[in-house]
Amino acid sequence: MRDTTIEVSALRKRFGPKVALDGMTFTVSPGQVTGFIGPNGAGKSTTMRVILGLDKPDEGTALIGGRPYVSLRDPLTHVGALLDAAALQPSRTARNHLLWLAYSQGLGGRRVDEVIALAGLQSAARRKAVGYSLGMRQRLGIAAALLGDPPALMFDEPFNGMDPEGIIWMRGFLAALAAEGRAVLVSSHLMSELQDTAGHVVIVGRGKVIADTSVADLLASVSGDRIMLRTAARTQAAAVLERAGATAAVTGPDALAIAGLPAERVVTLLSESSIPFSEVTAHRATLEQAYLELTKDAVEYQSGGPAGLAGRAAS
Amino acid sequence: MRESLHAEWTKLRTLASTFWLLLAAVALIVAVSAAAAAAVRCPSGGCADDPAKISLTGIDLGQAVVAVLAVMAVSGEYGTGMIRLTLTATPRRVTVLAAKAAALTGPVLAAGTVAVLGSLLAGGLILPGHGIGPSHGYPAISPSDGVVLRAGFGSVLYLELVALLSLGAATALREAAVAIGAVLGLLYVLPIIAVFAGNATLSRQLDQIAPMTAGLAIQATTGLNSLPISPWAGLDVLAAWAAGALVLGGLLLRSRDA
Amino acid sequence: MTAITSSRPPASPGRAGFTHLLHAEWTKFRTVRGWVLSVIVAVLVTVLLGLFIGSHSHVAPCTTGPNGPACRYVIPTGPGGESVTDTFYFVHRTLTGDGSITAEVTSLTEVAESSQTLNGRPARTKPAVVPWSKAGLIITAGAGQGSAYAAVMVTGSHGTRMQWNYTGDTPGLAGRVSPASPRWLRLSRAGDVITGYDSAGGTNWTKIGTITLPRLALTVQAGLFATSPGGRQQTSQGVASASGTAAATDATATFDRVGLHGGWPASSWTGTPVNGGPDSPYVTGHEAGYRGERGGFTVTGSGDMAPDVTDGVAIDGLLAGLFIALVAVLVAGAQFMTAEYRRGLIRATLAASPRRGRALAAKAIVLGAVTFAAGLAGAAAAVVIGIPLLRASGNPVYPATALTEVRLIAGTAALVAVFAVFSLAVGTIVRHGAGAVTVAITGVILPYLLTAGISVLPAGAADWVLRVTPAAGFAIRQVIPAYPQVAANYTPSSDFFPLAPWAGLAVTCAWAALAMALAAYLLHRRDA
Repeated sequence: MRDTTIEVSALRKRFGPKVALDGMTFTVSPGQVTGFIGPNGAGKSTTMRVILGLDKPDEGTALIGGRPYVSLRDPLTHVGALLDAAALQPSRTARNHLLWLAYSQGLGGRRVDEVIALAGLQSAARRKAVGYSLGMRQRLGIAAALLGDPPALMFDEPFNGMDPEGIIWMRGFLAALAAEGRAVLVSSHLMSELQDTAGHVVIVGRGKVIADTSVADLLASVSGDRIMLRTAARTQAAAVLERAGATAAVTGPDALAIAGLPAERVVTLLSESSIPFSEVTAHRATLEQAYLELTKDAVEYQSGGPAGLAGRAAS
Repeated sequence: MRESLHAEWTKLRTLASTFWLLLAAVALIVAVSAAAAAAVRCPSGGCADDPAKISLTGIDLGQAVVAVLAVMAVSGEYGTGMIRLTLTATPRRVTVLAAKAAALTGPVLAAGTVAVLGSLLAGGLILPGHGIGPSHGYPAISPSDGVVLRAGFGSVLYLELVALLSLGAATALREAAVAIGAVLGLLYVLPIIAVFAGNATLSRQLDQIAPMTAGLAIQATTGLNSLPISPWAGLDVLAAWAAGALVLGGLLLRSRDA
Repeated sequence: MTAITSSRPPASPGRAGFTHLLHAEWTKFRTVRGWVLSVIVAVLVTVLLGLFIGSHSHVAPCTTGPNGPACRYVIPTGPGGESVTDTFYFVHRTLTGDGSITAEVTSLTEVAESSQTLNGRPARTKPAVVPWSKAGLIITAGAGQGSAYAAVMVTGSHGTRMQWNYTGDTPGLAGRVSPASPRWLRLSRAGDVITGYDSAGGTNWTKIGTITLPRLALTVQAGLFATSPGGRQQTSQGVASASGTAAATDATATFDRVGLHGGWPASSWTGTPVNGGPDSPYVTGHEAGYRGERGGFTVTGSGDMAPDVTDGVAIDGLLAGLFIALVAVLVAGAQFMTAEYRRGLIRATLAASPRRGRALAAKAIVLGAVTFAAGLAGAAAAVVIGIPLLRASGNPVYPATALTEVRLIAGTAALVAVFAVFSLAVGTIVRHGAGAVTVAITGVILPYLLTAGISVLPAGAADWVLRVTPAAGFAIRQVIPAYPQVAANYTPSSDFFPLAPWAGLAVTCAWAALAMALAAYLLHRRDA
């Protein structure tokens, strides 16, 4: 898989009085899933449309592997995209839908059958799309995105309308695509959907980037991990752990919250001191919390707060 | 362009409505033509009727079906949002429009040819029984006759140009109902306005620029001197309308956000 | 389990509920900019095209010269206010007070003038049959064009008739007059009342009719006349345009045993060609005149005494913009429903009004009211401003009574509204914007185009198309009635319809009602 990056720099666009993009800048690197996260109306879809040459930006550029989309020959072999799964003519079968798309890129029917299998659509491929559930349409859209076996992929809200099983499938699918060395951009208005999937996140609000960071850095920046400990010997446990440099807080008759030590170390220390415990739980900060914290800042920033408060969390 | 054409052709042939619309166009054209031929009566002879033109009356109605087919080739994609996928696959937008036009050409020409041959055949069978036939001093409707050939071939071209006009209008207007309204309004209403212009010069000028009256001058095989415009020049007028609509549609397609 | 109780007030299916529906549909309509715009454009196009036609209209003779004769010609009007042709050869004397005139007509022959030489004399004439050639006895209030009159006559193919004041017509004896089968005619005046008689042998007289010419002067002109309308050569079954060539014809009648009773002051017979002067567009022959010998006369005349339905400009032409407006209205009407299907809004609409027929009715009422108001505004402005413009640019405008103008304007508005509702119903049935618009336009405008616009259909078929298709309603445009006693090109392209105005509108209404019923049925039966 050749490496292809998606580079978006200083995109600006207004629709009438409404500013849709206000200096949007970020890069999607190969080999990982980049989450593109922000509330509805933050400019995610517009950015993707600009990347695909569908909308013209007032200013700025969007490049795929260093070239503007419009200049790409057989562009779906460079970047695949799923923008709106409902955007197909319902009286055509899934296979025929993929077939015309394949022909437009100089591909043939064999590749169509491959992506149908990849997306798990074999049983429905020869039925008209009119009876498809939203989840099936999403799979069809994914098949279309994969048609050109592109090194870069974009998915706009791919989890919308999917049942829990489908969400799990989708997460694994995205991770697998990234593991093959592709650059994968996935937009969502829910941070939790991308938990455990995205290695990198671009958080946007009101047409610009609020945070552009790895998921690990983001989590670390929010708040440290805590460990929930359940033990009958509450006092001794607190003493042992505090001696090792942790802080302990009482949260219940037989419960402690420990900060400053990883879980493995806590278990080792307690075992060495022969202190009995019934439960050790690593309580991790979630992306959701990080996201809410950041967008809260963004709101303050937007309403005229001092610049810089929105602190680019890492970088 | 070849890949785009292959894609557009696949789109067209994989929609069942394409087949049904073309079938409806052929059936309507032949049926209306036959009905018109059956309705003409010239018992005493000497009527100034044009046998070929009567036999091709169905084109007047059939063009509406062809217009729907062409409009839906574009508006159907705007209605569902699939146009974005099309323009993502082929970012050179004018190529998309050209490919759509080229993909439509074959089916429309084929259906038009079948419809015209069927209509002329029906006219040739029916009209002599109504006082308009070789035994009454009229020329037989034979495709080997130069003027009949022109009327028939020209009618097929007429349908194709109507399809292109509709394609351009739909690209410019996007919404199906508005586009078909504009096309049918242009085709059907201008000749009516010409009748009411109340001024012979103005009426004639309107008939010369109206796409339907000018374009259908190609069907005339008799009384060519009384036509508002000569047959081929009339078809050129329609071609100019179609070209204008396509250029306008192409420019808008290129400049607008999809 | 807890019982779920509705917080809704008791269902109010009554008038209040429907008013809410109307309000909702009106809000939907006025908040879509495209629809409001299309209605405004429809009104503007109707008005502007009306003004354009009013100021640019010229009847055919005007185009032959910068200021051709017809541009100055004013079509005379008869006592009833209608446009008339008043052209005949009159051999007359003065009648004072009561009296009567009797004559035996022994022959009536017609010739058609086939071509003319440079000096205007016909180079060649050939015998012809002119069904409405007329010769007989007449009492007329004066020599002025459009004077009140009453007459008994023999005709080319329609037997003996009594006619009066251009539009009145009653049949007498049938059969064509000839020396072997002469006809005796008598016309008598008693005050305002004139009575016509005919007889085959001069002994048994039959009264044809008695008519009153109100306020008839004491002294009138009475005598013999002959006239023959120009035959319009129908060049094709496919209707020729209004420019059909009018060939002049001349009728010659032989009168015998002319007898006078009552108040005929001593004077001699005088022959006068009665016509509209040199500017008249009416084509007349060149043989007019009379010979009198031994109580008998031979009178030759050309022209007609009848309503004029061919030489003027009818005011309905001012409403040509209606057809462009109709396209906009049909599109908006269909979309009013199909847009709901495309966006899935229909589910919200039907959830808000589970009795689906009421939702459809509310839509129809709102659409009908809006388009009626728009049609009324457009048509009224086009007609009211257009008529003076037509006159100012020198066109002989057919006079129309105020009632006719109101019918034209209100009928056109009603037609627009009914077509809009028809389109709405088609949209409900088809549920597809382009399909609905295509069906509506080909159902409404195409039949009219094929029959009246480019007139490709033969006349008989055209009449049927305009009787049974939704386009029948265009009959509301007809402002000049068709008269059986005037041979003319009574075709849709000349604005004569096979159905009476309101009957035509009723056919269109029936179509709309049928479509609405089917739409309501399908809306009820189908899943939304």
